[in-house]
This record gives sequence, structure tokens and C-alpha cells, in this order.
Amino acid sequence: MMSTDERLAYMADQILRNFASRGQEAAIAATLDHIGQFWDPGMKSRAAAMPDAPGVVLSDGVRATFMRLRDSQPAS
Amino acid sequence: MMRIFVSKDMASVALGADSLAEAFASAGCEVVRTGSRGLFAIEPLAEVETDEGRIAYGPVGPNDVSAVLDGSHPARIGRIEDHPFFSGQQRFTFARCGVTDPLSLSDYAAHGGWKGLETALGLSPQAVVDAVKASGLRGRGGAGFPTGIKWQTVLDAAADEKFIICNADEGDSGTFADRMLIEGDPFCLIEGMAIASHAVGASHGYIYIRSEYPSAIAAMREAIARSATKIAPFTLEVRVGAGTYVCGEETALLESIEGKRGEVRAKPPLPAVEGLFGRPTVINNVLSLAAVPFILAEGAQAYAEVGFGRSRGTMPVQIAGNVKNGGLYEIGFGVTLGELVNQIGGGTASGRPVRAVQVGGPLGAYFPPSMFHLPFDYEAFAEAGGLIGHAGITVFDDTVDMAHMARFAMEFCAVESCGKCTPCRIGSTRGTELIDRIVAKAPRAAGTLETLPQMRNARTAARSHEEEIDLLRDLCDTMKHGSLCALGGFTPYPVLSALDHFPEDFGSGHALTEAAE
Amino acid sequence: MTFTREKDFGTPEATGEAVSLTIDGQQVSVPAGTSIMRAAAMVETAIPKLCATDSLESFGSCRMCLVEIEGRKGYPASCTTPVASGMVVRTETDKLRKLRRGVMELYISDHPLDCLTCSANGDCELQDMAGAVGLRDVRFGFEGANHLEGCKDESNPYFTFDPAKCIVCSRCVRACDEVQGTLALTVDGRGFASKISASQGEGFLASECVSCGACVQACPTSALIENTVIEKGTPDRAVVTTCAYCGVGCTFRAEMRGEELVRMVPWKEGKANHGHSCVKGRFAWGYAQHRDRILNPMVRNSVDEPWREVSWDEAIVHVASEFRRIQNSYGTRAIGGITSSRCTNEETFLVQKLIRQGFGNNNVDTCARVCHSPTGYGLKTTFGTSAGTQDFDSVEQADVVLVIGANPTDGHPVFGSRLKKRLREGAKLIVIDPRRIDLVRSPHVEAAHHLPLRPGTNVALLTAMAHVIVTEGLVDETYVRERCDTEAYGEWAAFVSDPARSPEAIEELTGVPAADVCAAARLYATGGNGAIYYGLGVTEHSQGSSTVMAIANLAMATGNVGKPGAGVNPLRGQNNVQGSCDMGSFPHELPGYRHVSDSVARAQFEQDWGVTLDAEPGLRINNMLDAATDGTFKGIFIQGEDILQSDPNTTHVAAGLAAMECVVVQDLFLNETANYAHVFLPGSTFLEKDGTFTNAERRIQRVRKVMEPKNGYADWEVVQLVANAMGLGWTYTHPSQVMNEIARLTPTFAGVTYDVLDQRGSVQWPVNEAAPDGTPTMHIDHFVRGKGLFVVTDYVPTDERTGPRFPLLLTTGRILSQYNVGAQTRRTPNEAWHAEDRLEIHPHDAENRGIRDGDWVALRSRAGETTLRALITDRVAPGVVYTTFHHPDTQANVITTDFSDWATNCPEYKVTAVQVAPSNGPSDWQRRYRAQADQSRRIETAEPAE
Repeated sequence: MMSTDERLAYMADQILRNFASRGQEAAIAATLDHIGQFWDPGMKSRAAAMPDAPGVVLSDGVRATFMRLRDSQPAS
Repeated sequence: MMRIFVSKDMASVALGADSLAEAFASAGCEVVRTGSRGLFAIEPLAEVETDEGRIAYGPVGPNDVSAVLDGSHPARIGRIEDHPFFSGQQRFTFARCGVTDPLSLSDYAAHGGWKGLETALGLSPQAVVDAVKASGLRGRGGAGFPTGIKWQTVLDAAADEKFIICNADEGDSGTFADRMLIEGDPFCLIEGMAIASHAVGASHGYIYIRSEYPSAIAAMREAIARSATKIAPFTLEVRVGAGTYVCGEETALLESIEGKRGEVRAKPPLPAVEGLFGRPTVINNVLSLAAVPFILAEGAQAYAEVGFGRSRGTMPVQIAGNVKNGGLYEIGFGVTLGELVNQIGGGTASGRPVRAVQVGGPLGAYFPPSMFHLPFDYEAFAEAGGLIGHAGITVFDDTVDMAHMARFAMEFCAVESCGKCTPCRIGSTRGTELIDRIVAKAPRAAGTLETLPQMRNARTAARSHEEEIDLLRDLCDTMKHGSLCALGGFTPYPVLSALDHFPEDFGSGHALTEAAE
Repeated sequence: MTFTREKDFGTPEATGEAVSLTIDGQQVSVPAGTSIMRAAAMVETAIPKLCATDSLESFGSCRMCLVEIEGRKGYPASCTTPVASGMVVRTETDKLRKLRRGVMELYISDHPLDCLTCSANGDCELQDMAGAVGLRDVRFGFEGANHLEGCKDESNPYFTFDPAKCIVCSRCVRACDEVQGTLALTVDGRGFASKISASQGEGFLASECVSCGACVQACPTSALIENTVIEKGTPDRAVVTTCAYCGVGCTFRAEMRGEELVRMVPWKEGKANHGHSCVKGRFAWGYAQHRDRILNPMVRNSVDEPWREVSWDEAIVHVASEFRRIQNSYGTRAIGGITSSRCTNEETFLVQKLIRQGFGNNNVDTCARVCHSPTGYGLKTTFGTSAGTQDFDSVEQADVVLVIGANPTDGHPVFGSRLKKRLREGAKLIVIDPRRIDLVRSPHVEAAHHLPLRPGTNVALLTAMAHVIVTEGLVDETYVRERCDTEAYGEWAAFVSDPARSPEAIEELTGVPAADVCAAARLYATGGNGAIYYGLGVTEHSQGSSTVMAIANLAMATGNVGKPGAGVNPLRGQNNVQGSCDMGSFPHELPGYRHVSDSVARAQFEQDWGVTLDAEPGLRINNMLDAATDGTFKGIFIQGEDILQSDPNTTHVAAGLAAMECVVVQDLFLNETANYAHVFLPGSTFLEKDGTFTNAERRIQRVRKVMEPKNGYADWEVVQLVANAMGLGWTYTHPSQVMNEIARLTPTFAGVTYDVLDQRGSVQWPVNEAAPDGTPTMHIDHFVRGKGLFVVTDYVPTDERTGPRFPLLLTTGRILSQYNVGAQTRRTPNEAWHAEDRLEIHPHDAENRGIRDGDWVALRSRAGETTLRALITDRVAPGVVYTTFHHPDTQANVITTDFSDWATNCPEYKVTAVQVAPSNGPSDWQRRYRAQADQSRRIETAEPAE
């Protein structure tokens, strides 16, 4: 069974793949928008923390998305 | 080589026409198989082609071949047209029947075939419908509804598809004209249907033939195949009947062709508006459609000139039962019942006095000789409490028991009822039971149930004979006015006419009431 | 409401121009095409009749309704004779009386006379007519030929057929043909021997009969009668209410004696069902009185302990204090709740209000998460509204019907019947489904095209259809130009035109011959009004949302949105799944589908409720379970949903529930989820409360209380008790007040009140100033979002893959007689039709594995293993297996995986890679689960007070 982090990365990747035909940049933007609309704050902050966490393996697209998410999160 | 004409009609074959034909062939003759001329007393019939025309001999058998060929046979009739049974006929519809090879396109054309269709194709559909209207042709299946008006309704109905249906589910006992025509001149029917298709704008037609007519089915199928190009783009197919009498009722026939249980539909909608598969449909009897080529070929006037009152043209009357000259007799309306039975039919075959004649099949009324003055006409018969129906007349001598005949009518209805409407479904069974009691002179006593003290409203006194007769009359009234179709609606005709004209057979006038005590 | 039979006009309504005639001296004006019988009934002249009823076409067989018409010969039947202008009709004359009495005399000469002990006594049309015609003597007697020896057929669990009482009016046969469309009944024999027979004399249960009840309802005598009427007697009052089964939303008359329900009879005025029903709504309501119902609240500290019955007060206080304790320890967002699509709009509204106002977060979700959440997402994105576009009546104007991923004759049977009726009238049908569902070929119905695609390839197939429509110039260009976002259309058209998306290119992937795809696309685009109906075979995929949008794209491209006879129509699963979504059951949306981040909408609620609302979306069910496993989510209130059985990957659900500190389950029965619960609050049935349900066509209909809640409180009252124990101070005394609040806060419901519903019967939202009468067809002049939005739908295959270990694809679904997890239907005689879940497997696949019909087989996936019995059938293609999920013993969801729709996390129930092998008995999981369940279900009865 996936861990919650793995699942969040998987979900983001799945969303990215469904926007893929728009091109990488637009897909990331659409995915960020989707996450903004549908993910709970806890999921968002977990995802935002993943790029900086040691040992986490992320695909390029997911990493880029989560980094953008991290940058847009209000400082807590 | 001598040319001999021998009928291959089912009735002729039953009388030995096949072996007769074989015998002529063995004798080196060219044998042409035709339809039947229509007089069974002279069958099997052989006609020899000579310079003076076709000389007929009949009845003859295989052993008579040489005597026929040398002209010495005592059963020599001479030219068939001169025979008294034929000389008085007006053969508009059956003109070719017995004359031509039924499946020979060239024979058909040589004897005036296709002339009506060619005329029709030169006219607008409306003009064709107008001609049929002007001819005064009425439905020969029994209802007598004006054919032209029916066609007009179908012509006026807007639809992507329309159908022509020929009702050849000839189920009345003592009738055979439909079969004779289909076997003897199938192209005539095809031509009539093709004219109808042009008149109303139908693309496809069905001929619904009862399964008991294998020769007619085969002849029709072959004729359709041979004439396909002649009637194209109109197409035809044969449907074989479902084996029940009620499928001859037009709406039940539609259900049957649609592949459903052969059960009567309520009208409206009329089939002319919503018929087969919900499309406007002409449904006509064989004889109605077969009359049409003459009307178009010779003109509506020629047809309408013949007849009586509102019944115009000719009627192929089928004379059967206990009669000397049984057969098919086509004549203009107006001939009297007496002429048909006594002059043309020649009286009973048994030689005993005629007691009753049933006109219009098993659901027609019985008439005593006192009514022989009636002219053969839809209105006159209706007024006399009867109907012409499909023009079958069945003769009975003085040994007939009319109460038995009334019971037979109820039983026939019970056997043939589709079961849809209540008066017919239950009424016919109750009618049979009731006539049994009447005939047995055993009016109903109160039943076990009715005598129980719990049954406060049930009558405990037995019924009288008169009450049973009244009940039979009431039942007939309920069936006549309440039934959905003609099967239940017409069953009262034979019952009531028997009761009215032959009350003595029902024990009336006799002291039967003592049984009621 | 007191008991009166619904008025029967004898023949169906006509719609022609007005025609005037005279009936018994009274001037009448009725639409052309109306029968004389109906015209008479409209002016309260009841012409005697037996074979006529207004749900069926006229037939004309009983001959009771004869009338006299001036100028016409004879006595025409008033049921089959249409009115004509100037006609003068007499319905009562001496002659007519005599004829009718004559017919009645015939009927009664072949009928039992035990009226007083007959189950239809007082509710029998034959009895009524005998009275009306004044039958006093049966002169034929009672000893003639008859049918009194016929054996009763008691095989059906719900009704009895007594041929001795039958008058052969064919109403049952015609109802089966015309209304239900199953054609299971026939008239056997002819003439006097005619008799009604189920599928050539097999008996009702063994026949094709689907037990919809139409024949029973149509029967004028007690020849076909409900067993409950035989047992209890005839009802004495009736209350109109709405069925609590599927999303069709049939309305019924609950016919009662006192507080006891005698029978449910479909209501002719019901706009969704027009007097028809299915076996579930009509008959399977016995669960409401089932002995398994839990009627007292119960509490325990741990799921290993037995349940302890407590008072309502104690239970409510316990729930409130536990939830507050958890929030104090783990944070505001550590609790949440699940609303029920079985409950009313009002109840659902209150549960989400409890969570948003009382819990202070948006952690609310509903079972739509696992069924139609992609519909919400997809239709909102493309059209602007998360709902179907049409009313059910619309199907009567459809020319081409495309059914994809739905099995209406089983899942939505009453709509299925209406669809079949339209198909019999000539509409063309396209079915896209891996299975050969009944619609593909049934009596008088045959699909023009059946595209049996490989499960999981919907998007590829629909895009290929779009490819054909665009590249062959079949697009409705005017419509697209005027109604849709043309830029988005351009991108989409270019996308679908790519040869890689042609039918030929995807043939191998989908398994559907390219020619069939082309033909289906052409038919849909050019066949007239094109209507699409879809179900969970569309949504329950990892591409569920994409498939919904691909469907919307097709409809827009062909101009098939915004008019009757067309549209995009989700067939929603549960009775109130539309309503629960409307009521704000999703974690990102307030009631009326307004995003929680919408400050204007939020302000409205904040003002009304006096609290500040969370502007961030809450957790979805699956995320709640993840969070529970992670230790950040600790308490949940689950009303009327059995997530353990219905949600995917049971092991995952069980782990999540087990990790929580307070699981509160409110339900009728100790369901599977309750095995993991700490508090059980007994629920009430739809018969025990007032409220509203909203069906798949957005139709809001009243649910009316016919009896007091056996558990003491309606569900909305229980929610209010919890809310008040948490300090919210609610003061509702009737659900109508909740509806007033909904209307106040939800623009699409602005015009809805109980008064409006009582007057109009039902309304379809939006109901507001712009549409005071409601909205049968949406998007008529413009889309709700303005311009229709074409969305590019990439085909992203599922990550669930078949391979050597799991070579088969499992897809799941349901069947007619059972409903969802079966909590209700398993507690009714519906078990007679489907006592267990079976695995449908193609003969080739069965042969390869040495499996025979009826063998026990092990069904394994990456997620788990279960066992069930095999049913060998070619309804499924080779390589595909199918089962239902109605039985907890099977737990089909042990097999399904965590894969889900990319946009909504709707689970991918329809595609699981599996292996099937012969088996001897239950799997280890089943054994462990059974042991856990047995232990968890123990109840320690409270000591009686004193």
C-alpha cells in the first residue's frame, strides 16, 4: 500500500498526465489550479514540503508542481 | 397431335382429373392443364380442341380416352359455352378460368390479360380510384363496403409506405371461389393488386392464403415469380394463414402477418389509415381485386351496367350442399335465390324437397323456400335478416334438423373464437350449452349453488322452455351488438333465422313446460 | 389524505386540437384523438368498463363500454371510438343497459362468487361493474364450462395469480408489453380456453417476469394481487411519497391501514415514473420493518467490545464530547463526516451544516465520490452545471439514443422501460458497453450498434467517434459557432482530427471494429435528436471525468444540448445522490455548487449561520482514510452509507476506520462499517420522515411521513440533537424550515417551498425568479457557463494493467433485484432472484481454467482475494469477468484497487486486473473478516430499568 506522500505524488502525476497535451508549462499550471481547488490544506502543505524532504523521489513534473505549490503557500 | 384441356384445380383433381390427364398424355395427346370451369357434376371434364372449338366430355375417366378422341363418347357436352349452366353466366371475373393455362403468361396476354393494368398505368392514381368508384364494386369478402372509397382513404393517407393485402383466407364452408381463381387464373389477381398499388401508392403486397390450400399457395408463388417484371417495382409475397378461421377477419389477418397472435383489433383506426405495421393498407378479398382488371380494361360503365339496386356488377356465386348442380356461377346481382337453387342448382341432389338454404357461409342466415323470391342483393338480404357474405349458398333438404344447425353455429363460433371479446369468448360456449338444453327439452333447474340458503338472490324455481328460448334470443342480441368482429356478431344469424323460420325444431308450440315444474 | 382510488380515465390522454361534442346532453370540449370514454370521464360520466385503463392503449375487448352515437349504426365501444366534432353520444339507454347486463351475465357465469372473502373485496372493478349494470340473475347458471379449477400460481414472493378470478381482459399482458416492455405474459389458447400465462406456462417466478408489478396494478380483479393485501386486507388511506431506491425517483402512493403499510402503488401523476414501478420500489419495502433494524443507540469504547445500548441522551452527549475532545487534541480538521444519498435533502443539508458550522471545517463528502463525482466535475466544466440536462420525458422525443456504461433495465428499470418504449416506436439505439446488456437485444428492441469495448477505453472510443464526426463534416457548425467557445472548439477539433485518434488507429486498443465506430458516430450525428444516457461505466474509471467531458464534447459538436429529445443524461445511482451533491456534500463546494473559496457565497452562509467558514477545501473520503492512517484524522460521522462494503479496496478502508478514535455510524442496520464503529445511532426509513429527494432529472419531490420513526427520531432530528449538543442552537421543528433555509441560501433552489411542491407535485431545479416553474431542459438558449466549453480529452490509460499474474479484467455492476450494498434488498424476498453475487465469465476463459458453471472460484487482484461462484455466459467478452457487489459475504471490493479518477478520485471500480481459479472455500480474508464481524456485532442488552 502506498504511503500518503506517495499517494499525493501519484495523484499529482495523474493530473499532470491528463493535462499533458497542453504542454508541460500549461499542464503544471492547470495541475496547480486543480490542487488549489480540490486539495485540503493538509494535503497541500504535505505536498509543498516534499521537494525539500530528504529521500523523496519525484518525477520532474511533480517536483516542479510541488515546488510552485510550496512557493505559493502562505507562510505559516 | 390432339390438344386436350383438363383442369388441375384441386376439386377436379379430387374427382380424378390427374389420371384422366395422364391417360390422354399416354394416348399421345398434348394435354393442357387449366383451371376449373366450375360445374362439378361434369367433372372430370376433358375438352378436345377441334375446328368447331373446344368440345367437352364429362364426366369421363381414363378408360374413356379413346371414345372421347373418336368423338363417340356418350358424355359429349359439346361447346361448354353452350351448356345451360354456362350460357346464362356473366363471366367478368372468371372469364379465363378453365380456359387458359393458369401459369402461362402468353395465354394470359392472349386472353386480354394486362389490359387493365396497362390502362391503369396510363391514368393518374386518382383516375384509377375514380374508375373503381364508378364501377360500383363493393367488397366481395362479405361486408360489401365500396372498394373505391376504401382505396380513396388509402390514397389520401400520407405515409412513407403503404401496403396492398389480398385476403385469401377463405374459411367459410361451401365457398371455394377464391381458391378456384387463384388456381385457375392467378395473374388476374396479381394484375388487380398491381392496379391497386398504382392507385394508392403502395410498394408491396401480401396474399394471405389459408394453409389448407397448398395448390393455390404453390400456384400463386409460381405466378408471382413469373410476373415479377411485369408488375415491378411493385412486389408481392404469399403469406400462409395461421390455420384459424378468425384470421380471415381483416384486422386479425394484419396481426397474423405482423407475426402476432391472430386476434381481432378494435376499429378505428381503420386499416386504410393504420393497417399493416401501422401503415395505410388496402385489404380486399380475392374476388374484389380480381374484378378490377375487367373494370379498367372494359371501363367502369361496362361493369356497372350489370347488377341490381346498389349492388353493381357480377357475383361469383358458389352453390353447394345438397344440390344437383354444385359449382361456381358468376352472374349479375339480382338473380333470385329461388333461381339459384332450383333452376341453376337444379334442386336437391337427393331429390327430396328443399327445406332451407344457408346463404353467406356458416355465419349466414337460413332461408325457407317461402323466401326464394329474394333478389341476390346486399340490401335485400340484410333487410330479410341475412347476408350475402362471400356468396356461398348451401342447400338442405327436408331431413335437416335446424336446432342442430343452430347449435352447430354456436359451436363453430366457440371453436373459432379468438377469445378477445367477451360476448364471443364466453357467449358461444354458453350458447352451445343452452341449445343443448333446449333441444333436450330440459330447461335448467336451479343448480346446487343456487339452492344454498346463503344464496339469497338466486332464483330457486326452474326455468321454463320459453325462458330458455328468451335467454337464447338475449344472448344472440348481446353477441350481435356486442361482439368485436363479425365472427361473434354474425353467429346469431344462423341461430336466430333457424329459430324464426323453423321454431318447430326447437320444440316450440309443443307442451314442454311441464318439465319446469 | 383519505383512501380513494386514483381516477381512471380509461384511455390515455390525447393532445389534438379541441373538439366539441355532446355526451348525455352535456357539451364537452376535449382534444382530438380523445376517446369517447375519456371525454365522458372528464365530465364525471363513468361509462362502465373492464378492459380499459388509462395507462394502456384502448383494446375494446370487454364490450361493457358500448354507447349510442346519433347517426351511426350499432353500439360502438367508447374506448376505441375517438370523439368527432358535433358528435352526439348517449351513454345510458335501455338497450345499452341490456347489452351491458348481458355481457356481465356472461362474465359472472364463469367467476367465483366468494366476493366477501375475496382479497379484492371492495377494490374490484368486476364487482363494481356488476353493481353498476344491476346484475340480479345469472340465467345461464353456474354449472356450465368454467375456469374455476385453475391452480393458483404463488411462485412470486410478492403477488399471487389466481386464474379462477381472471376475466381475460389482457390488461396484465398489455401492461407487461406496453408499460414494462418485458413481454413476459401472453394469452395462451383461444376462445373459451384463453388464459393468461407467464412465458408459456412456466409460472411467474421462473418466467421472464421482472416483477415490476405493472400487471398486478392493471388487474381489475384479484386475479393478480399483492400478497400483502391478501394478508392484511385493503388499505384505508394513501400518502404520496417518493421511492428510496434508485435515482429515477418514482413516486408512490403508500397505501396504509393505520400505521401499517399495505402496499406501495406507483402514482400516475408522478412525473418521473408516470405510474410505473420496478420490483424494488413496488415490493421490496419490507426491510423497513425487518427484525434486523437497530432501534436503540449503542456505544462502546473499542471495537473489540460488545455494543452497549444507551439512551439517546447518553449517545448524543458522548458523540459531541468525543468530537470536541478530538478537535481539542488533534486540531479542528481532525474530524469530518459523510452525508447520505439515501437521506433527504434536508438531512444532507443539515449534516454538511453540522460539519461546516459545527466542526468548523469542510471535511464532508458523500457517496457520489464513488459514483458520479466525475459527472459533477465534467458537466460543470463543459456546460456549467453539475447535473443532467433533460427530464425523463425527453426520451420520448429522442431519435437516436446512445447508452454508454449504463444498464438501465437493471439499474434504472422504470426509465429502462420508458426507453424501450421509445425504441419500440422506432428510435435507434447505440450501446457502448463491455457486456451484452439486455437492451442490446430484447423482445422488439435491438441496438443498431453494440460496441463491446475493452473496459477502460471509453475516452479513446468517444474521441474516435468525435474524429469521425469532425473529419466527415458532421459537426453542427451553426450551433458550435453560436453556442460554444469557438477557440476551445478549434483546439478540440484539431486534437480529435489527428489520425492517431481515428477509429482505425484505436481498433486494437478498444477491441471495437473501426467500421462499427464510424457507423455509430454517423448515426448519432445525423439521426435526428441524439440523447446520451450514461452511468457508472463512464464515471468509475481513472478517466471518469475525461469520459464525461468527451460525452459533453460529442453532444455539443452535434448540437444536441439545449432541446428536448437530446442532451447528456447521467443515470444517477441512489435516490438522492443528485440532491446530496446539490446540498453541498462535497468538500470543495457549498450548497448550490459554489466553491468554498467564493467569498461572496461564503459570506451569505456566514451571515445566516453566524460563524466564519473555512475557505479551504476539505478532505475527500479516501483522503480522510489516508489521513486517519497517518494519525491526523481521528473522528467521523457517517450517516447512511456503508463505506466498508461500497468503497474500493476494503483493506484500505478497514485500516483507515480502525485508526480512528470515534467512528459514529447512523444506519438502519448494523452495516459492515459499523464493525469499526464506536457509536451506533439508529436511523429512520423514508417512510418515517418528511423531506425531499432530488432525482437524476433534478426533480425535487416530497417524501412524506406515513408512520412514526420506530427508532424514535427522524434522521434530521438526530443531526439536530448532535448539533445542539455541540452548542449550535438549532431550532428546526419541521423539515420544511430546513428547505426554507436551503432556498434562502441556494440560488437554484430560491423558489422551492413545501407549498410549491404540494401544489405542483414536483419541480426541477433551477427554480427561481427566472424559472418559477422549474427547468425541465437546461441550457436552452445558452449554457449555464455562458459558452459551451470543448475540452481536449487525452486518453491516459489506467495504471491498472493486466499481465501474466492477472490476465483478466474485472468489471462490476448491479442487477435488477438487488440494490447497492444490498442492506435493504437483502432483507426482502428479492433474495429469491439473486441470493449471491456470481462471477460472470466467458466460456473460453472458464474452459481454460477448468471452471464449470456454479463452481466456487477464487478471484484475486493486486488488492486482495475473495471467493464466489461462477456463472458461465457469453454476455461478457473473453478476457472480461463481471460481478455484482450486493453481498457482504463476497466483498467484491476486496478486489478493487486504489486507482481512481484523476480529477475527482472516483474509484476505478470498473477495471481491475484479476485472476480466476477454482477454489474450495472462502479466502483467508473472508474468514478473518467474518470472525472480526461476528465479534464486533455482539450486543449487550441494557439492564431493564427497575
